[in-house]
Amino acid sequence: MTDAPFIEIEELYFSRGDHEIFRGVNMTIPRGKVTAIMGPSGTGKTTLLKLIGGQLTPESGRILIDGQDVHKLSRKALFTLRKRMGMLFQSGALFSDLDVFENVAFPLRVHTDLPDTMVRDLVLLKLQAVGLRGARHLTPAELSGGMARRVALARAVALDPELILYDEPFVGQDPISMGVLVQLIKRLNQALQLTSVVVSHDIKETLSIADYLYLIADGQVVAHGTPQTLDTNQDPRVSQFIHGEPDGPVPFHYPAEAFYRDILGGAPVK
Amino acid sequence: MEALGRAGVFLFQSVVGVPSREGWRLWLHQMHFVGVLSLAIVLVSGLFIGMVLALQGYTILVDFGAEQALGQMVALSLLRELAPVVAALLFAGRAGSALTAEIGLMKATEQLTSMEMIGVDPLRRVVAPRLWAGFVSLPILTVGFSVVGIWGGYLVGVEWLGVFEGSYWSNMQANVAFISDIGNGMIKSAVFALVVTWIAVFQGYDLVPTSEGISRATTRTVVYSSLAVLGLDFVLTAIMFGGL
Repeated sequence: MTDAPFIEIEELYFSRGDHEIFRGVNMTIPRGKVTAIMGPSGTGKTTLLKLIGGQLTPESGRILIDGQDVHKLSRKALFTLRKRMGMLFQSGALFSDLDVFENVAFPLRVHTDLPDTMVRDLVLLKLQAVGLRGARHLTPAELSGGMARRVALARAVALDPELILYDEPFVGQDPISMGVLVQLIKRLNQALQLTSVVVSHDIKETLSIADYLYLIADGQVVAHGTPQTLDTNQDPRVSQFIHGEPDGPVPFHYPAEAFYRDILGGAPVK
Repeated sequence: MEALGRAGVFLFQSVVGVPSREGWRLWLHQMHFVGVLSLAIVLVSGLFIGMVLALQGYTILVDFGAEQALGQMVALSLLRELAPVVAALLFAGRAGSALTAEIGLMKATEQLTSMEMIGVDPLRRVVAPRLWAGFVSLPILTVGFSVVGIWGGYLVGVEWLGVFEGSYWSNMQANVAFISDIGNGMIKSAVFALVVTWIAVFQGYDLVPTSEGISRATTRTVVYSSLAVLGLDFVLTAIMFGGL
């Protein structure tokens, strides 16, 4: 296995309307490791995953996956590249017209010619790993949010991809499934030598599985390093986030005029 | 203009390519949803429209002693105009709106995005089978509409009002031309099928993924489709029958 990084992000700029989301982001995501991208809500973590997956196009800069510039590929080549990736969506994004079993079987059915018996075995193995083998006949509408995310994880790893993008995998999980998920992501990574990118703001869980961390805020990477180096980082923005302090340079409030003026000044309601 | 350009690229990317075996299976499934399930509303409407045509036609023709031409009048009205147009309008309301809402909801719940990330093109997997199903099923529904409408005209004209059965059918046979009447009606129907289904799937694929966005897009599908069908009907009629 080569030591070249699996994903390289160079001078990435991206805006939505007038709102600048990324202003010159640079990242290197090593092969075969778990890399976490953390940051306060609204900093564009999910947007970054969509840029990596080629669903959004940056204004400038480039993203290389295994040496291929994602945004210069033809539509067909992009879909071929995506077969090597799995993505876990925040909402699960299961296909509502298929049951749990068929959702997990979907990538196997469309991308392989495996016989039905083998598809069945593979699907049951993946469902067993996420603890939902017994739920195979349920429809997505019958699942809780946490269960839907676990089925989506089983689907994302169905083809044993080289890269998995996890979008907030821990949100809405009870403590038991949270522990299982953390272990699962770690085990998958070690056993299959996957490259994993975890976007999250669950600090404890993420620090426990990540080999390398990027912290983004204000459209830029404010710090990166191993969990140990970030834990002792003296930058007030890093320390505020890692230790979950309410006061610090990163504001809790969305930009607005002064509170007393808004309440007392009779500013017209907008 | 920009939306028209997007819609053009969208149509091209959806229909170009050889369908796989799975594609045929998805198409058949959509034929059931889009075509078979629209059968009841289209046939019942066809029956009533045929009956009304016969009733109205009879009251006018009888004044001239020309009620023997009732069959010809019912058949020509249905084949040339009413069957393609009314079936297309019903199709836009019944199947078009459902296609928009279904694809829109798939977009809003990120199902289309997750399909893309699995390496499956939703234009090929979701949009193409629906487009082809609409394109094929509306002309078939239109044939059903005409057949049932002519039968409805027979029930009212012959069975109820007492027009001579032989003249109802023989006048129809003598005056309906296969190419210029039936053929032109079918061409109209094929054009409407393409336009209505294209509008429906594009509105679903291109909408703003919120509940309000879905509601607006569904309305737009019915409004745009209806206007397009009626406008195109005039243009096509002018070309086919107006000597343009």
